Amino acid sequence: MKKQKTIYESALDQGISRRDFLKMCTALAATMGLDFSQTDNVVEAMETKKRVPVLWLQLQDCTGCSESFIRSTHPKIESVIFDMISLEYTEVLSAASGVQVESNLETVIKKYKGEYILAVEGSVPDNAGYLMVGGKSAKDTFIRAAENAKAVISYGSCASWGGIPAAYPNPTKAKPITKLVKNTPVILVPGCPPIAEVMTGVIAHIITFGEIPELDVAGRPKAFYRHRIHDKCNRRAYFDAGLFVESFDDEGAKQGYCLYKVGCKGPTTYNSCAEMRWNGGTSYPIQSGNPCIGCSESNFWDNGPFFTRRAKVPGTQITINPDKVGVAVLGATAAGVAIHGAATVAKKKHDEKIRGEE
Amino acid sequence: MANPYHLDESSESAFKNEYPPKIEKVNNETVKIYVWELPVRIFHWVNAAAIFALMITGIYIGNPFFDSMIQGEASGFIMGWVRYIHFFSAFIFTANLLVRLYWTFAGNKYASSNLFRKIFWKDTWESVKFYLFLKNKKPHFVGHNPLAQLSYWVVIGVGSIIMILTGYYLYTEPQPESFLGKLFQWVPVIFGDSFDIRSWHHLVAWAFMAFVVAHIYLSIREDYLSKNGTMSSIFTGYKTESKDSIEDIKDESMPGEKNDKYYM
Ligand code: HEM
Ligand code: HEM
Ligand code: SF4
Ligand code: SF4
Repeated sequence: MKKQKTIYESALDQGISRRDFLKMCTALAATMGLDFSQTDNVVEAMETKKRVPVLWLQLQDCTGCSESFIRSTHPKIESVIFDMISLEYTEVLSAASGVQVESNLETVIKKYKGEYILAVEGSVPDNAGYLMVGGKSAKDTFIRAAENAKAVISYGSCASWGGIPAAYPNPTKAKPITKLVKNTPVILVPGCPPIAEVMTGVIAHIITFGEIPELDVAGRPKAFYRHRIHDKCNRRAYFDAGLFVESFDDEGAKQGYCLYKVGCKGPTTYNSCAEMRWNGGTSYPIQSGNPCIGCSESNFWDNGPFFTRRAKVPGTQITINPDKVGVAVLGATAAGVAIHGAATVAKKKHDEKIRGEE
Repeated sequence: MANPYHLDESSESAFKNEYPPKIEKVNNETVKIYVWELPVRIFHWVNAAAIFALMITGIYIGNPFFDSMIQGEASGFIMGWVRYIHFFSAFIFTANLLVRLYWTFAGNKYASSNLFRKIFWKDTWESVKFYLFLKNKKPHFVGHNPLAQLSYWVVIGVGSIIMILTGYYLYTEPQPESFLGKLFQWVPVIFGDSFDIRSWHHLVAWAFMAFVVAHIYLSIREDYLSKNGTMSSIFTGYKTESKDSIEDIKDESMPGEKNDKYYM
């Protein structure tokens, strides 16, 4: 059996120069949020480590996460899928199809037991019948693949929280994949879809350091999900100043005011859009004038409507205008008080009269 | 003779170590009872002021109903100031509650409340009937009746805890690694994600407002029915009661002198 090549060696095979290789490592270090001085660690890792086998499963998804992934610009997606990882199974990108591919999946699970990374997009239906791939229950395939993986990367909000398939009324009883993984570490990379560079950055971290990145309480990598959009937003100065867009065609919208009053979910959304931005750092929704819809948060689909600020009734999937409901409750209380007050006075007068007669 | 101040006989006295109130004789029929000691009154008005400040600023934070005067450039700091006042009031609100919690144990018998006794729930039931104009055996209470106590537990107790937990969580969201941030990291386990936590905070805020309406009404009503100066009591501390109403403390000596008998 031929010796496996290191990432650097396979990059050279691709005709990449040492200079470009170093550039790639520097970009990677920056994406991962590492200090410039740590670039050396990345270079060393890429020179000595072998390509990591990756299995990519699609469950109840829309392929949006795959679409985002292939648009990674730094590192370029080519260098990720040809140099850093060895994508052993993917429904979207593989040239081959049918029995060949499906049987390879089983081979990889056995051959690279405990070494491969399992990337998953999409949620799992409770009833396996809702999702059969290649004639087999995708739920079972996932459980088997997850058991034998080194780590599971949960790409997107569907895999991480249930996402759109789990939105009310959740006909397939969709669940996040975390509910089905027992002993393998899971890294949540939510977003609908997640930012491409965040997706590749997580893989790069695992290769560089040989371990999963530091996670927050919810299980997301701190490097990318530590801040809310609101904390890093380019419109934040307008929020603090008290200047708000009232409707999408007003003067404030032209001036670039804060989108809070047109339903921006930035204050409740953890993601790096405001720092990393999209499409190679070009822009992100808020910069382009659209409020954040909170796509990386659990239940984002049920926290709507997107362009209004609402509060959720705890324990339900219903959102309400809290001030309208609050004023109504207050009105009902006041009415109750008025009636009770009138009754109190009437009863006292009545009692006094009776006492007077006795 | 059974001690008239035995714990189980009144739903007003909650714990063993609390002391009876100061009593002044007005005439042979009436006495003035020092019900709300100074710390309770200060707590009450600081609390009320903080809650109104928090509600007004909070509603603005949730729905900024007026804009900065200076249009075009972000040179004003309206939302910044409103949030600042909200947080400042929140710190006062929290500290004030902690002082009141301390006074529950240090104050007179009307400063505490104990839900874990049968008599408490029996008297609560009688109070409910009283408020529903039904026949009842509700005794007259010099302090708060058990239903009032219950409303304070639910709104001022549980309600404040919810506001504080969710509020400080929101407050520390930008600095999860700070000391305060670490203290409140676990809040999502109970209240859900950021969106849910904000929702809780906003909805319970309105529960406070509903409480205030009912609370002021019931205070006025009590004043009207028992003519004991309930309304002025929260300013002066004193209620004027008939001598019979303090049956349970009647053989206590008059002001100043202590009677060890009541420190069981
Ligand atoms: C935000 C507003 C308010 C809150 C949260 C509030 C809360 C409370 C609490 C917790 C107590 C129990 C005192 C203790 O034992 O520490 C109390 C008692 C009292 N409050 Fe308020 N209060 C508010 C506003 C008011 C106002 C505006 C009035 C009258 C104009 C008032 C009149 C009274 C009276 C008369 C009592 C004694 C009632 C009794 O016998 O149980 N309160 N209040
Ligand atoms: C009775 C007490 C309180 C009331 C009535 C109150 C009310 C409110 C309301 C209505 C909001 C708007 C929620 C929304 O965005 O939909 C809010 C926001 C907030 N409150 Fe409170 N609050 C109280 C106590 C506290 C406490 C104790 C803290 C702790 C520091 C706190 C911190 C906050 C924070 C951080 C926000 C969000 C501000 C922002 O995102 O800009 N609140 N409050
Ligand atoms: S646009 Fe959204 S994220 Fe940005 S400051 Fe306004 S509310 Fe916050
Ligand atoms: S700005 Fe908000 S809705 Fe848009 S991609 Fe980022 S997290 Fe998702």
